[in-house]
Amino acid sequence: MNRIVVTGMGVISAIGHSVQENHAALVSGKTGIIKGGGNFPSRYAGLLPFGEVLINTDELKIKLNVTQPGVTRTTLLALHAFNEAIADAGLTVDELSAHDTALVGATTVGGMCLTDELYANTHGDTENIEYVKSFDYASVNLFIQNRYNITGVVNTMNTACSSSANAIMYGCRLIKTGLASRVIVGGADSLAKFTVNGFNALRILSDEACTPFDQNRKGLNLGEGAAFLVLEKESDAAGKKIYAQVSGYGNANDAYHPSSLSPEGDGPYLAMKSALDSAGLKPADIDFINAHGTGTENNDEVESRAMLNLFGTLPNFASTKGFTGHTLGAASAIEAVYSVLNIDRQELYPNLNFSQPIADIGLQPVLDHRPAAITHVMSNSFGFGGNCTSLVFSKP
Amino acid sequence: METAELKEKLKVQIIQFLNLTDLTPADIKDDEPLFGDGLGLDSIDSLELIVLLKREYGINIQDPKEGRKVLVDVNTMAEYIKANGQK
Amino acid sequence: MMFYIHKAACISPQQTFGDIDIEQLHLSVDNKLYAIEPKYPHFNGNALRRMSKSTRMGSGAALPLLADEAKPDGIIIGTQVSGMEENGKFLNQIIEYNEDMLTPGSFVQGTPNTISSQIALINNNKNYNLTHVHRGLAFENAVIDAAMLINENPGHTYLLGGVDEISANNYTLDTLGGWFKKEACQNDELYNSTTNGSLSGEGATMFTVSGSKTGALAKLTAITTIHSTDTVIVRERIKSFISQNLPNGEKIDLLLSGENGDARTLPFYLACETLLDNQVPVARFKHMCGEYPTASSFALWLASNFLGNGLNVPQHMLKKQGDFNGVKNILIYNTHKMGQHSCVLVSLVE
Repeated sequence: MNRIVVTGMGVISAIGHSVQENHAALVSGKTGIIKGGGNFPSRYAGLLPFGEVLINTDELKIKLNVTQPGVTRTTLLALHAFNEAIADAGLTVDELSAHDTALVGATTVGGMCLTDELYANTHGDTENIEYVKSFDYASVNLFIQNRYNITGVVNTMNTACSSSANAIMYGCRLIKTGLASRVIVGGADSLAKFTVNGFNALRILSDEACTPFDQNRKGLNLGEGAAFLVLEKESDAAGKKIYAQVSGYGNANDAYHPSSLSPEGDGPYLAMKSALDSAGLKPADIDFINAHGTGTENNDEVESRAMLNLFGTLPNFASTKGFTGHTLGAASAIEAVYSVLNIDRQELYPNLNFSQPIADIGLQPVLDHRPAAITHVMSNSFGFGGNCTSLVFSKP
Repeated sequence: METAELKEKLKVQIIQFLNLTDLTPADIKDDEPLFGDGLGLDSIDSLELIVLLKREYGINIQDPKEGRKVLVDVNTMAEYIKANGQK
Repeated sequence: MMFYIHKAACISPQQTFGDIDIEQLHLSVDNKLYAIEPKYPHFNGNALRRMSKSTRMGSGAALPLLADEAKPDGIIIGTQVSGMEENGKFLNQIIEYNEDMLTPGSFVQGTPNTISSQIALINNNKNYNLTHVHRGLAFENAVIDAAMLINENPGHTYLLGGVDEISANNYTLDTLGGWFKKEACQNDELYNSTTNGSLSGEGATMFTVSGSKTGALAKLTAITTIHSTDTVIVRERIKSFISQNLPNGEKIDLLLSGENGDARTLPFYLACETLLDNQVPVARFKHMCGEYPTASSFALWLASNFLGNGLNVPQHMLKKQGDFNGVKNILIYNTHKMGQHSCVLVSLVE
């Protein structure tokens, strides 16, 4: 059995513009969530906290040497993380354009971050049409594909907050079925009026820093960022740094409600269960769970119940949303990087802002940075539309 | 506005706002529960109705839980609008 | 990698749902081909009122395929930006109400994974569920997903679909982008047009697919995606696709060409035609469904029905009469916005 291994990673989030910077913040417990003082142009900028990447779009273009028109912030964040990941894995120009190299990316905002521009273009502005070709989700990966002349399978998926977990799963399956030898998988989302107002209309944004798994949680904070991972067959990775193995994945639907999880968390339970099954592991084999843990009333309670149903006694678990905010289509990929760091560095990172367990449940997440023997990590992602996906990463 | 008139107007607005195309105002009884067994509305509808109260009557309900007390049936909605409406 | 197509249902601008009659061409209105929507039944799980047009059409097309006792082992949908009409309503609210007190309904309905999740709700289906949104290859990627799943689990059955809708927003944006004709053009005159752009279309096509041959309508023998704007490269890739996947001694018996009346894409379709023998019939379908990112799913519905349901190729589709001598292998070639191309080989089940 040829194992699928992680040979490169790139991430940009509110807590740093590289894997190294993200790691440093995780270790020191330094959040990236701010209330005011960023660049995000929304009436909620000073009213609600956000996990913003503190580099403005024009600076990003200069840093990434992007000069062509019509490139959105979502795409720039994706490119930033993509560049770091392929450099880390040492992929050559020829490898990138080889027919057996695939790109699978996820986004839930894509070009919809351009709310004002799209409004102008759909209400009579026929002059400033720089962005009309990039309003969709695929525009992000099509830009990266063109920039690097990727000729293999290229795909974009959107299953709300589990999007990039599905991109990682899909990449593994492309390798397993022989449609690709190496895949670059991940996701990106920028802060957008579209999502901020959508989540606000659903009344699930907290006006304070989010407190995942806490009894008094008030909702989630939105964030932005991107992460990509390079996955290769172990046999092709000789001589490379191998961070971890992707050992399992599971996808299920909760089939309960458009924007809430079922009380017992059928979808989350089934996703976690099938991820374990595909990895050939028992619940007791999991050393740590990077929980979805958004900080909403619904998610954290349901996720807790589903974890209890599956694991009985829970392993260590934590949500990293208190660092980055909920980065939607990027969240699973960013958290995949953090899960891989759990394994590579043999350590755990804290669940920020926790003080009191949820009544009737009584679970307490990891509260500090500490060394730990970690062999298997599960990472959970549950989205609107009941789309639930869990991944398992293992020590190589 | 007379209460009866307000209730009729509310029913029209509810149907329009929630896109209840298979209903007419006459189908909604004043005391028919909006949620659960009555009209069968759900949590997203309750958020939509809170926006209806804001846009049409200038009523601000910040806490969705507070909204649940107001949004029991057309009677309770009309009473609340009578007591708190700005428009 | 391949699979068998067992059932197919399609809501399109033509009479393809229920009693099928594609002989009579339904005409476009203001350069748009709107889907003929059936009277939908009462949906379980959530009311019709909560559905975007895409979700409504997708669920409506899926329903006849979900009548069996056994639930599909997964639901896989390809769509570019379904729910764009609702999405557009929400974007408009953001500006018009200056981000204050918005209604969440349009936001929830405007996300593309609503189709697959709504079908999951209707079917109470907790299995695999994925939405591919890779623009003009969204449906092709969904097909590849299904093919991989069937390769992994030959006994499983999956619901596979392609859905997109005409919305005010995407019509305006794509017209500004130069993809739809600016002058009036009726669909029965589409291929006589020499200008840039096509007609806007929409539809929802659903299939049940599995690894089992018994009772199948058609076999999806092979699929490939091509990313290039160079006709020479695209022609070479189509050529090698045919030679690699066509069984020895067999030939392409019918080309289903995605030609769309856009002067810029015509060279690609002509390049594809030059790869085939002179007597091979060429049929076009975009005058029936219009141009939309997942229009290849409409072509796959046609191919399945030509091969397995005794449906005849109507005259209005034929570009080249050719030699109809028992159709066994159908090649579907399509390009969307020139950069994304796909080839699908659909074969008779013997």
